[in-house]
Amino acid sequence: MRKFLAKNAPGYIFLTPWLIGFFVLAIGPILISFYLSFTKYDIASPPKFTGLDNFDYMLFWDDRFWQSLKVTFAFVFLSVPGTLIFALAVAMALDKGIRAIGIYRALFYLPSILGGSIAVAILWRQLFSNNGVVNSFLALFGIQGPYWLSDPNYSLYTLVVLAIWQFGSPMLIFLAGLRAIPTELYEAAEIDAAGPVRKFFSITLPLLAPVMFFNLVLQMIEAFKTFNSAFIISDGRGNPLDSLLFFTLYLYNEAFSYFRMGYASALAWVLLLIIAAFTAVAFASSRYWVHYESDRG
Amino acid sequence: MADALPLQNPNATTAEIAQSLRDIRERKKRRANLLRHLFLIICSFVMVYPLLWLLASSLKPDAEIFGNLSLWPTNFDWANYSEGWNALVVSFTQFFWNSTLITVLAVIGNVISASFTAYAFARLEFAGKNFWFALMMMTLMIPYHIVLIPQYILFLKMGWVDTYLPLIVPRFLATDAFFIFLMVQFFRQLPRELDEAAMIDGCSPFKIYWAIILPLSVPAMATAAIFSFIGIWQDFLPPLVYLNDVKDYTVPLALRMFSSQDSVSLYGPMFAMSVLSIIPIFFFFVVFQRLIVQGIAMSGLK
Amino acid sequence: MSKIKRRTFMSRAAAAAGASVAASSLGLPAFGQDKVRIRHGWWGNPERDRRTFEVIDIFNGKHPDIEVVGETLGFNDYFTRLATQIAGGNMPDCIQQGYGVMQEYVDRGTMIPLTDYIGKTIQIDDIDESGLSAGTFNGELYGLTIGANTMATVFNKRLVEASGETFDTVTWTYDDLKRVAVAITKSSPDGVYGTDDSTADWGAFGVFAGQSGYAIQYTEDGKDFTFDTPLIIEFWNMWKDIRDAGGTPPGADSAGLAGQADLTVQGVVTGQTAITYAWSNQIVGIQGLMQDTVGAAMRPHLAGGQPGQSVQPSQFICLSRDTVDPEAATTYMNAFVHDPDMTAVLGMERGIPEVSAVRQMLAPTMSAAEATTVEYFDSIQGHVAPLAPPNPAGAREIEEAFERIAVNILLDRQSMEDTANEFMREARGILRRA
Repeated sequence: MRKFLAKNAPGYIFLTPWLIGFFVLAIGPILISFYLSFTKYDIASPPKFTGLDNFDYMLFWDDRFWQSLKVTFAFVFLSVPGTLIFALAVAMALDKGIRAIGIYRALFYLPSILGGSIAVAILWRQLFSNNGVVNSFLALFGIQGPYWLSDPNYSLYTLVVLAIWQFGSPMLIFLAGLRAIPTELYEAAEIDAAGPVRKFFSITLPLLAPVMFFNLVLQMIEAFKTFNSAFIISDGRGNPLDSLLFFTLYLYNEAFSYFRMGYASALAWVLLLIIAAFTAVAFASSRYWVHYESDRG
Repeated sequence: MADALPLQNPNATTAEIAQSLRDIRERKKRRANLLRHLFLIICSFVMVYPLLWLLASSLKPDAEIFGNLSLWPTNFDWANYSEGWNALVVSFTQFFWNSTLITVLAVIGNVISASFTAYAFARLEFAGKNFWFALMMMTLMIPYHIVLIPQYILFLKMGWVDTYLPLIVPRFLATDAFFIFLMVQFFRQLPRELDEAAMIDGCSPFKIYWAIILPLSVPAMATAAIFSFIGIWQDFLPPLVYLNDVKDYTVPLALRMFSSQDSVSLYGPMFAMSVLSIIPIFFFFVVFQRLIVQGIAMSGLK
Repeated sequence: MSKIKRRTFMSRAAAAAGASVAASSLGLPAFGQDKVRIRHGWWGNPERDRRTFEVIDIFNGKHPDIEVVGETLGFNDYFTRLATQIAGGNMPDCIQQGYGVMQEYVDRGTMIPLTDYIGKTIQIDDIDESGLSAGTFNGELYGLTIGANTMATVFNKRLVEASGETFDTVTWTYDDLKRVAVAITKSSPDGVYGTDDSTADWGAFGVFAGQSGYAIQYTEDGKDFTFDTPLIIEFWNMWKDIRDAGGTPPGADSAGLAGQADLTVQGVVTGQTAITYAWSNQIVGIQGLMQDTVGAAMRPHLAGGQPGQSVQPSQFICLSRDTVDPEAATTYMNAFVHDPDMTAVLGMERGIPEVSAVRQMLAPTMSAAEATTVEYFDSIQGHVAPLAPPNPAGAREIEEAFERIAVNILLDRQSMEDTANEFMREARGILRRA
């Protein structure tokens, strides 16, 4: 018994703040939302238990549910790789041996600082409006730009660009990761006459794997939960023609605009399951490509 | 090619060959550097454009912001700044003070509690670790809007609504799993031998956390501090539901009070205050991003 | 500048924290005061907030036993917080509501009828019939109004004059609109068009329906419409006619504006068009965003049709079911609409006073755009329809569905028949589910 305590006590002592937070603040609301997903709850009167009705409606009757899934998946698959590649490229360009590096770093972080403010929404609409900066730029090359914001075939791309443009946080994490790679490894590789491509694939990428893994999982979760940018740019609705109907935007409107908190809770749990499945796959696959310093030996 | 490369010249001395190799490398490096700067400068412009736009808009009268897409204001009007500062029923002095107070406390709470939790997950062995880790990750996946109302009722019952407590206390209880996961990934990168050596020397896990892990994790801490500062400074949904009194409002909440669909909006002043509102974040970023770099240099790790 | 009454706090945390304001928010509110504390919540803007807090100060000065505190937010934020507060049973005592969504909040039981307080704390003798009937839901008075609102057409005077065409701002018809809009497109620089396109505007369709004889658009039980797809198709065809003649921007461009309530994207503000459809209380706001001067007209009439536009309350002040003291709350509500000192401060910020004498009293202090608004309001008397019954629950969702689905017409993605059917199917589903 004493041995058991000695083995486990330190872990649980360090875990205590989180455990308190989890049991007092997190688990209750999470379980309540789970219960609400089986009810009809209009916020104003007590929830009525309706069994699986919400899920039945969602899967078999609700076209907008499927549309919001489609939009969200398309966004995840476009924005996550885009953000990661861009963030890594810039982080490597900013890594070492370059003058005025601090200034660049701060400048590149600017879009992320502006975040999801009203100002960004207005800016984005002006940039992508029919006579905005983007189309004027394309016109220089004789390209007639599309109606970015009003054509459902293009509107999602403006949000993907916005997401990639705000690549500051993964970039910073990559930068910290790159800094941790011992320079001797590169020097050794140079003696072996390894080119930059080989150096990248045989040194940078493997040693960056844990950081890459973190960024991948986090960007994916965040992308699935994207709300702010979609909300401010589509005036909270997902227009045009539901082409910006992100899952959380749909969920938010169901809960707060249309007073269907029960249904919104059901939606939230479906999203949770989807994210959990993708995260589980990422964790399972990490065994093959992510190796931690602390696990060696 | 008059002066044939020493490499191909059978009569070249070793010193000459070495010198020419260095030259080639130097030239290659310079070219690479030039390309790199070019890439960075082009990117910088794209990155800075929004700030220029915001600055320009903050200097324009309202009537010029929306009808005129040109970046350059016809005349520079600094009045938006003085007008904006006092345009609302409470001055921005108050809003900045509120935001600073909440953000500083919350960032401290976040960094301390997340590093505590992450240390347990990354470096200690205990029963049920994977179970708790999975639950922790789950809290990351729940859309915030759906727990908002149950959480509001909880805080209401505790008498915390209309105070800053719901915005600060949870941060000391590591409720933001993002930062735990971030630090777990960093901590796992540190060599195991460090702990083992310390353990043999008779160090307790607390000593190891305090004297070894923390000093080596300055970059991770700085990263977490930057992210949480930005996140909390800009957060608006929790302040929106938990604060009722305008005098308690934070800057992002105040910025949303300038525009109105059924009356006169003040966009110029709003842009001016938006510009001012990012200055603290920018300052914080510039100071702390240095730690990300220095931390590693100082630790002498690798 | 009005002062907001500082709440008093007592707590050890406060004392320890030191800094006064910060501490007051960290601590817990004190109880045991003699005063009744009444919360008044509204969505606002800088000007409205300033005036309302001033009014609250006046009231608190006259009523030593009541302490009113104000809570203000932007429009969208206001309803998000209100929903949270409904769930928590923590709504302010007095809340601001709009006519369009009021029925839904009444039906869900979030408000208390004022019936029991009439003649006691609330005086209604001097409120005119139209104001009372507008505030009556399910047969009981739920809201007091301090101003009126009506739809408007807002146009850029310079561009209209440049076109050489004229029209009567009160009696003009859709045919006049087409004539003027096409002329403006011709006389304006490239990329500037005559009018915004209302194809995906539910409000504009409502006016058209009224003009076509469907003054009441929902059946009595609120589960269906009184009209069917042909009326919608007729509306769309009328706009297609103007669009095809070149009076509006290309449909694909207009599609981006569907459902956008934000004034900053409206055509007259961005300069893309000369004519935008809005509300009378938005005229001043639109003018503030523009360099050219704007004029106001009625929404166009249907030749040979009936009046379709009506005057409705701009906002209500209502009593929430979470009120801690309905007597005190209704005392405040009554003063909010009656007390001369208070109404003088409020002016016409929350809507146009319905009594023309009051409008004339305010005239000397008005800005040009305010004068335009009042002039417009005076001019439409006798040309408006009676106020339609309030919208049933689900109305907001139907409006949003229309604005979404009608974009198919602007983008030319499906036939009008299919689109109208799609809308009716979805809208009926919403009404059934509500």
